[in-house]
Amino acid sequence: MTGGDIPLSWFLLFASAAFAIGLFGVLARRNAIAVLMAIELMLNAANINLVAFWRYSDSPGPEAGPIAGVMLAIFVITVAAAEVAVGIALILLCYRRWHAADVDRYDSLAG
Amino acid sequence: MPPSSPPPIDFSQLWALSPEILLTLWGLVLLLVDVGPLRGRPGSSRRKTVGSLALIGPIGVFALLLAPLVAGPGAGGGDPDPTLVYGTIAGDPLATSFNGVIALLLAMVIGMSMAWDFTEHWGAYFALLLWAAVGMMVLVAAEELLILFLALELMTICLYLAAAFEKDKRRSAEAGMKYFVYGSVASALFLFGLSLLYGLTGTTFLDGIRRVLVESAAATGEAGGLSGDLVGATAVLLILVGFGFKLAAVPFHQWAPDTYEGAPAPVSAWIASGSKLASLVALMKVLLHALAPWAGAVGGEAGGGWVLIVAAIAAATMTYGNLAALAQRNLKRMLAYSSIAHAGYMLVGVLAAMVTVRSGSSAAEAAGAVLFYLVIYSLTTVGAFAAAAWLARGLGRDDIDDLDGLGVRSPGLAVCLAILMLSLIGLPPTAGFVSKLAMFLEVLNADASARSTLLLLVALALVNSVISAFYYARVLRALFLRRSDRSPGPAPRGVSWPIVLAALAAVGFGLEPAPLVDSMRSAASAMLTITLPPSPPDLPAPAPVAAIPVSGGMAMQK
Repeated sequence: MTGGDIPLSWFLLFASAAFAIGLFGVLARRNAIAVLMAIELMLNAANINLVAFWRYSDSPGPEAGPIAGVMLAIFVITVAAAEVAVGIALILLCYRRWHAADVDRYDSLAG
Repeated sequence: MPPSSPPPIDFSQLWALSPEILLTLWGLVLLLVDVGPLRGRPGSSRRKTVGSLALIGPIGVFALLLAPLVAGPGAGGGDPDPTLVYGTIAGDPLATSFNGVIALLLAMVIGMSMAWDFTEHWGAYFALLLWAAVGMMVLVAAEELLILFLALELMTICLYLAAAFEKDKRRSAEAGMKYFVYGSVASALFLFGLSLLYGLTGTTFLDGIRRVLVESAAATGEAGGLSGDLVGATAVLLILVGFGFKLAAVPFHQWAPDTYEGAPAPVSAWIASGSKLASLVALMKVLLHALAPWAGAVGGEAGGGWVLIVAAIAAATMTYGNLAALAQRNLKRMLAYSSIAHAGYMLVGVLAAMVTVRSGSSAAEAAGAVLFYLVIYSLTTVGAFAAAAWLARGLGRDDIDDLDGLGVRSPGLAVCLAILMLSLIGLPPTAGFVSKLAMFLEVLNADASARSTLLLLVALALVNSVISAFYYARVLRALFLRRSDRSPGPAPRGVSWPIVLAALAAVGFGLEPAPLVDSMRSAASAMLTITLPPSPPDLPAPAPVAAIPVSGGMAMQK
């Protein structure tokens, strides 16, 4: 047992809940910034999963290959930062065109 | 937690990654050239200079790929070792041949981009195209899920931005925004599936995942499949959703028509060809290699697996894509639905490859047929999008009606476009026909138990091909049967050579498909047989994370 007293399932339940909240936010929120935050929530839920699985594996180290779960999480954090930078840039661009940050308003294309 | 020290990187292996490194550095050079020496020059002159410089990137990739052939095997540090960088990236024939295909598509897209002034920021634009190509190349070569995810993100983040590059057009910003929202949600879903798969198998290497799944299936005595395995099924579903978005498969296709219509034509071409090509190769690696033990039976036997899910997605994708394309007036939007439909055909090919993998016969041939179809589809689609770039340059619009009368004004290019349309329909003697035939014939090699479902899918695909003839024929009618007093003018060189090249490829590989089929077959066999490095001192066979049985219960029992 390499983890603490908290069982692994708690982490997984928490991550699943965060993921579900994020998914709900993406689908239900209309503000572009809020959608971006919801996407971040989903990415971080996956991060919690990765770190929890890594911490609770009985035989960590070489068995998992040279790339351990924490390394995955660090890369994912970097990717999330890049995604936010691009997302904010696109939201700004759309805001200048429509003077609105509401994703429902961006509807010149349909059919 | 004992610190595990990875073995030092063998830097001579970087030689095999030289195409990616070259394109990355060259993108930086383009950025610097645009803000440095060319600062203050008008947009159209910078477009020509930076665009011509950008073409050096794919040409350099060709030179690097051809160098080992000219110098003979073994020269230049070209080690035949199939895996690089701890086994995370493959240096196999698949990666090499697809690097060449991606470089060719990149050159065509750069040529189209030089047709007209749709932005001011040429350095950044061409750098993004090059870096998206880097992402595609790594994606095709990835043998590990983290590298695969990073490559997917590199590719799509560059494309999100490139899609929004057309200045003065609202629809371009909207295209980028919609692509971004759908794409990043798909990435998050994919990543969550990846994390579950990592927890179940304890590894992120494709070959390692396969080994763990095979062992656990042998331990439980089940034939494979996912029945009763809730976590595994969730992981597979989430990963399929992620790939489905990138491939624009129904029901994850909503972004594709809007993005293809709104983005500048070269970017739409790049999304439709390069991004789809690389994603489908990655999907095949994950499904046919890593997750093959979870495929499940097709007909008859019990045991759900991903085969049934993919079959449903394929049927919905090709039918919806073709029916929706019938109603379109915009050329790029029509091509978007056409690309959705083609994704459906390719998924049928993937299923055929999976079933032959299971029955152990001619797996490489079936997978090679899909790769062949993929390459032909990519080339013809880029050529068709070049026509949209031509219209956007001359008329500022890109409806199918804007093609009216081009058969009289530019007969040569009109004939080439007609060949591309025939190839997309799948009529002989074009390569579209040969590749579709080869892919669907592989179904006949399948098990008898699996064949009935697959034959139904193929029948549906053939009906769909007939439907698709109607909307492709509208392009032919506009070209040859209608007159118009508005003309986009003569095609610039950047538009005409991709069209001519694509048409030549469609006819050439239609009449003589053997060389491409053979090289795709060897690429496919490399993809299906690749394994982790044979005797890695620090890389023994992966073990599943304790307390999480691969099938049956969930980790909650702990």
